[in-house]
Amino acid sequence: MAQTRLGRNENISGWAFIAPAMVLLGIFMIWPILWSLWMSFQTGRGMNMSFGGLSNIIRLTEDPIFVKALGNTLTFLAIQVPIMIMMALIFAVMLNSPRLRFRGLFRTAIFLPAVTSLVAYSILFKSLFSTDGFVNASLIALGLSERGVNWMGDPFYAKIVIITAITWRWTGYNMIFYLAALQNIDKSIYEAARIDGIPAHAQFFKITVPMLKPVILFTTIMSTIGTLQLFDEVQNITLGGPANATLTLSQYIYNLTFRFMPSFGYAATVSYVIVVLVAILSFVQFYVARDRK
Amino acid sequence: MSGLKLKGLRKAYGGFEVIRGVDLEIEPKEFVVFVGPSGCGKSTILRMIAGLEDISGGELFIGDRMVNDVDASKRGIAMVFQSYALYPHMTVEENMGFALKYAGESKETIKRQVAEAARILGLEALLSRRPKDLSGGQRQRVAIGRAIVRHPEVFLFDEPLSNLDAELRLQMRIEIARLHKELGTTIIYVTHDQVEAMTLADKIVVLRDGRIEQVGSPLDLYDNPKNQFVAGFIGSPKMNFLPAKIQGGRLSLVGYAGQSLPLPPLETAPLDGTEVMIGIRPEHFTKDGQAALELTVEIVENLGNETYAYARQGHAEMLTIAMQGDRSTRPGSAVSARFDPQKMFLFDMKGERIF
Repeated sequence: MAQTRLGRNENISGWAFIAPAMVLLGIFMIWPILWSLWMSFQTGRGMNMSFGGLSNIIRLTEDPIFVKALGNTLTFLAIQVPIMIMMALIFAVMLNSPRLRFRGLFRTAIFLPAVTSLVAYSILFKSLFSTDGFVNASLIALGLSERGVNWMGDPFYAKIVIITAITWRWTGYNMIFYLAALQNIDKSIYEAARIDGIPAHAQFFKITVPMLKPVILFTTIMSTIGTLQLFDEVQNITLGGPANATLTLSQYIYNLTFRFMPSFGYAATVSYVIVVLVAILSFVQFYVARDRK
Repeated sequence: MSGLKLKGLRKAYGGFEVIRGVDLEIEPKEFVVFVGPSGCGKSTILRMIAGLEDISGGELFIGDRMVNDVDASKRGIAMVFQSYALYPHMTVEENMGFALKYAGESKETIKRQVAEAARILGLEALLSRRPKDLSGGQRQRVAIGRAIVRHPEVFLFDEPLSNLDAELRLQMRIEIARLHKELGTTIIYVTHDQVEAMTLADKIVVLRDGRIEQVGSPLDLYDNPKNQFVAGFIGSPKMNFLPAKIQGGRLSLVGYAGQSLPLPPLETAPLDGTEVMIGIRPEHFTKDGQAALELTVEIVENLGNETYAYARQGHAEMLTIAMQGDRSTRPGSAVSARFDPQKMFLFDMKGERIF
């Protein structure tokens, strides 16, 4: 009996300890998630909403701006994430070499963008790539362009500016994961490879990359999620323009909710598109990186 | 199989010299063990031979070829690391065949050579496993297998058994000895464990502070150590050292209430008052020795076949005595530790042997 009472007491105090966190999580996370799911089936403007069944999903397929935003987001994802992951990996391997001088300096320099504020660096990029900005001035000075490039006014170049900005901001962040993982690899593995006559490229692709696979998977999934939620940069640099050429899904959700006549139900549906995309892409990445043996 | 020649080999980091001119000849098919305390430079020399460390001075020959500037992969050596250094994401088979793949061997050749190495090492059943699914001993065998498949001229072993438990260490020691017999390759083996050195080596190289102290066969080093360092390093348990002074043609023991021992015949008769160090191996204490030290036992270790007593007189140095067959000694009891003065060693205060 005594043991049961003790068990019950322990149970109560256990629940009491986690209750504040559970309540907060419940109110600010689980409830909004469920509420937004419910909202995604509602139609109407502002607070004047009614149950619309699957009408929001049908609207998605007929909404050219949504299709554009989805296309833009997937373009950023498909181009930016692989480039950034490869660059981060190459930087990490280079900065891990004991033969490199001023390693600490380079590490700091490459990681530093990751600690800058999203808005601050976005404004910096906006000014760098403005018509009379530093980049154009440099291009003209070097004779590579006669009148500079209309970075913000051209759909193609605007995308390049966004991709360049995110890559600059996040490469160092991902590199740190690789660097940490590389430093955990036993040095004698590479010495053994050297004695075995394994060429440098094979050491990289057949030893380093496979050994970093779990970290590469982690950073790829995190970067995928980050890019699917891309908002700050486009909002501050291009505002989604020109002509929605850089509009992302997150930005479209924001516009649907706060800039246009509020359409909470439809915005919630677009949010769930991101959820479904994250789920599908994460599954694909796990599947591709699975242990085949 | 190739021999090796080290001529005045030096290694310095910045201005600090860690290997200070090592001269050594290693015959083909010889099993040479580098032994010495931590930091003596034994692993550094091995890594210089492997090509993993640059050579700051001197010459290194493998066979007749000077290899100072030859890449590690082209020296005809294979190395087994203390940490095994296996590729964790590859199976045993892939680990062993990896080097051959990049040496341009055909798939059939790789398969055949890996199978042959697996047979020699008893790894046939483990070929499809990953290193993480293997025990320490099995991993070490895979590491050796990876070296064997390349048919190297010289095998280098860097403290290969240090990560294994005592029983496995013994097992692998026998295995390595068997392998040497079977493959007939030149082996250079680094260890700080003098038992490994004594049991495996054709030739032991004792190192201290980046210099060779003595080179010789295991028994040669045991019977005829050149100096106090080698005498103390080779043999287990360690040799006992007793400070003494030469007085009136006898060895007066320091801290033994005026007890003295007869002075053995020396090449040059030392002056009265010269300080010396007497060395007596624990196993040289026997019941029928002519000289005796009266000691009080402090600690007794019964190992079954042997008993070690740690004893001293008053506050003098503690001595280790190996007492074959005697299990009756108890702490606190008095023993008369008898030994044959002919079997003792004598060193001058610089550590050089004088008898």
